[in-house]
Amino acid sequence: MSKSIAKSLWLLLFAVVLCCVVYPLALWAIGQSVFPFQANGSIVKGQDGAPVGSLLIAQPFTKDEYFQPRPSAASYNGAASSSSALAASNYALRNRVATTLGPIVRYKDGSNAGKLVAPDIERWFQQDRFQGNPSIVLQWADAHNSLAQAWVAADTTHAGYVTDWTKSHVSVVAQFVKANPGTPQPQPSDLAVVFFETFSRENPGKFPSAVTHTDSAGKSTTAIEPVNGGTDIQSTFFDMWRTDHADVPLQDLPGDMLTTSGSGLDPHITLQNAEYQLDRVAAKWAADTKRDAPDVRAEIGKLLNEKAFAPFNGIAGEKLINVLEVNLQLRNRYGAPS
Amino acid sequence: MTIWALPIAILITTTILAFPLSRYLAWIMDGKYRAPRALRWFEDRLNSGTQDWKLYVGSMLVFNTLLFIFGFLVLALQPLMPLNGDGKGMLAPSTIFHSVVSFMTNTDLQHYSGDQHLSNFSQIFFGLSNFFLSASIGFCGLVAIIRAFRSDTHLGNFFVDMWRVVVYMFLPIAFILGIVFVQQGSPMTFESSVQVSTLERGAMGTTEKGEPKQQSVVVGPLAAFVPMKQLGTNGGGFFGMNSAHPFENPTALTNFLSCVAMMLFPFGLVLMFGRMLKRLRHSYVIFSVMMVLMIGTVIWAVYYDALQPNPGLTSHPLAQTYEVPSATAPGGKRVVPVPAVAGLPVDQHLGNLEGKEMRFGTSAGATFAALTVDVTDGAVNAEHDSLNPIAALSPMVGMWLNCIFGGKGVGMINMLLYMIIGIFVAGMMVGRTPEYLGKKIGGREAKLALIALLVHPLMILFPTGFFAATDWGLKAESNPGAHGFSQIAYQFSSASANNGSAFDGLGVTNGFANNPAPAPEAVPWDIVTGIVIIVSRFLPIIAPIAMAAYLGAKKSAPFGLGTLRDDTATFGFLLLGTVLIIGALLFLPVAALGPLAEHLGPIPFGG
Repeated sequence: MSKSIAKSLWLLLFAVVLCCVVYPLALWAIGQSVFPFQANGSIVKGQDGAPVGSLLIAQPFTKDEYFQPRPSAASYNGAASSSSALAASNYALRNRVATTLGPIVRYKDGSNAGKLVAPDIERWFQQDRFQGNPSIVLQWADAHNSLAQAWVAADTTHAGYVTDWTKSHVSVVAQFVKANPGTPQPQPSDLAVVFFETFSRENPGKFPSAVTHTDSAGKSTTAIEPVNGGTDIQSTFFDMWRTDHADVPLQDLPGDMLTTSGSGLDPHITLQNAEYQLDRVAAKWAADTKRDAPDVRAEIGKLLNEKAFAPFNGIAGEKLINVLEVNLQLRNRYGAPS
Repeated sequence: MTIWALPIAILITTTILAFPLSRYLAWIMDGKYRAPRALRWFEDRLNSGTQDWKLYVGSMLVFNTLLFIFGFLVLALQPLMPLNGDGKGMLAPSTIFHSVVSFMTNTDLQHYSGDQHLSNFSQIFFGLSNFFLSASIGFCGLVAIIRAFRSDTHLGNFFVDMWRVVVYMFLPIAFILGIVFVQQGSPMTFESSVQVSTLERGAMGTTEKGEPKQQSVVVGPLAAFVPMKQLGTNGGGFFGMNSAHPFENPTALTNFLSCVAMMLFPFGLVLMFGRMLKRLRHSYVIFSVMMVLMIGTVIWAVYYDALQPNPGLTSHPLAQTYEVPSATAPGGKRVVPVPAVAGLPVDQHLGNLEGKEMRFGTSAGATFAALTVDVTDGAVNAEHDSLNPIAALSPMVGMWLNCIFGGKGVGMINMLLYMIIGIFVAGMMVGRTPEYLGKKIGGREAKLALIALLVHPLMILFPTGFFAATDWGLKAESNPGAHGFSQIAYQFSSASANNGSAFDGLGVTNGFANNPAPAPEAVPWDIVTGIVIIVSRFLPIIAPIAMAAYLGAKKSAPFGLGTLRDDTATFGFLLLGTVLIIGALLFLPVAALGPLAEHLGPIPFGG
């Protein structure tokens, strides 16, 4: 026994020195001397010499001049990689994709080909009928309790709006308490479904959304109000609009544009995705640089084709674009976006 | 066609490499290699003399205990140790227990995220040390069994075996792979993180002072960490998202090498088994059976995940309502409406891309998912939670069978158990004395084999059932319906198979000891999976060594007309049948309640 312990200690000591000190130090010496760029995280610098990012780690872009990376379940946090972990059967996955699609999806053919669907979603919403029944918002809240609750929890102004509503709807709240004796003092999120049901009856064809008003003194205030248009409606109700218009042909969007990656930091998008974004990117740079849109589009398209690569030269997969690499090129070529 | 090129290339490359490797492994483990004087000094220091099976197992347990203490100290003292640039604190005690047990046993199930919770010191002295040593322990277990089967006068010396495995096998290959990984883009630095201003200033948001936020990019000694993570079939990620993370797996080439690295030793060990026993044809039969099962799991995963769209986004035209019992709802019943949904305009010609990375190739996520469980690696390069429901059956079956090449040595040991049971059953059926390697299998050997084999289903089914019925499981599920059950079943399967992959949505992270908002049921998860890991690791190593020792001590019967030949296709089918009937049938109810139920719908499930 004591012999075993002594030998175990020797083994642990030898192994730790060899595997945890000598081995990593040797690789560190090789990495830092032969491949310093990769060994320090593939960090690239901007024009002012400051590090702007790692070529291997996705970072967000909000301006239309830049190509957008894939959506990130980690909010592009390079210190906390994360996937969405949403199962196919989880409605949250479908809802996330549908809300992204609503404002940007376009018709495929017919007289509408290439036009945005969004205005039609608003028109359909204002008529307030889904599957032949009235009150879209009511049906939405009934079918998707958790989304209704998520709306209330998403923002303090949302919760505040519901709290104000409880004051003017004392009898509705009282009825809720009677039906749910387990929650004698309901919080705004408990009341979410009841709130939307009542709201839908009182404001047919409308949805509560943030609206900004500017008064005569130039001071702007934002408040939640019932509205009958805007991106909230386009995104939230696209899935229901689609169910009512299941046979209308729509343009498919690239899958990688709508799905989150495993790490939340995938630095690549497919070339197909980049080409889908090309019109928007090129038009914006053309406006910024006051140049001819087709010229700029051709230039950027050429850049994409130069930078595109495929895993194992295409044996294993399709052509990809490194988003930061291309955006850095655009920034260097055309200057700062306006 | 591009879909199948990657898995085919991986399987062929590894098979070709396994042949010379197995020759080398047998040469080293048979002690034919004469080390230079400097290295012999270490062996002499470690050599405690020849051991019988009880001493060998005893040494193994003593060393494991020491490894546990060492790992626990490293993690518990993390805040005091160097190489902690971001000032990481101490993990919650239950998480430390779970992590230490998990890494020491080659499981590497992680209830923490390396990028958020570990310093570089812990990654190296806790992670890397266990990568080398835990892999070697299973390896030595197999070698001991082989020597016992051969009726060697003794089983060799555990400490010398360990040293040889680490130094002559793992280190050189890991070092070469490490150079490739750093060249391809894995960082190799002892810094903790790099702060970068984004190209578009303020795109990450602004701080309270109104300054644009910087992106914090965690780096570290990845190029040393990752090759051994794969070679040792450990699979514990440096980052939370493991080999899906661009630093841990920067290119299609590193992904290919990761796959080959994790399969290399499991493949080679099967052939080494044949070489050391001088029954190479016998090991070819075993190899073929494993290969058939492996190809099956790969085809299943790739077909249902990379060639089919994500069913969450496609059309499901039938509206349905379900009534479920509910204590709180009026009338005791709650109505669950399942609305009809139309297809969303998403181009899914690349298959299910949710949770996949783009740079590895179209079928890489599904291929990796199948391979990583077959060889009980447990690294992932895609989110298994988001695999198509029916595709997720492939990794689960891989863990349930737990003998498709399997981890370092342990997979081969499991297959041996199936073999003993198969021969025993076949012998009973034809009324002939069951023999393996010319030794009569008696009641004692069959009992030991059965104990080792039945630990696995017991350790999966009981806790899964218990957690699924109580808040411990229900509060940890992050997906609704059948998939929530799959999350629980997957976690225990992974723990018991010593695999380490997970459905990551499951809420099991306690985080730092002072975390104000840990996952509500993190502590029971830490402790119960920790116990499952220990039992499922040690019983299936110790019982087979004892069995092999008893078997080896018996007299060899002469080879006769009535002997069941173990190097024929018939034997292969007998083995395949035993594995499928015993291994798969035990878990059929779990499969039906989890992935199959989810696949059959409704999708989406609830609101």
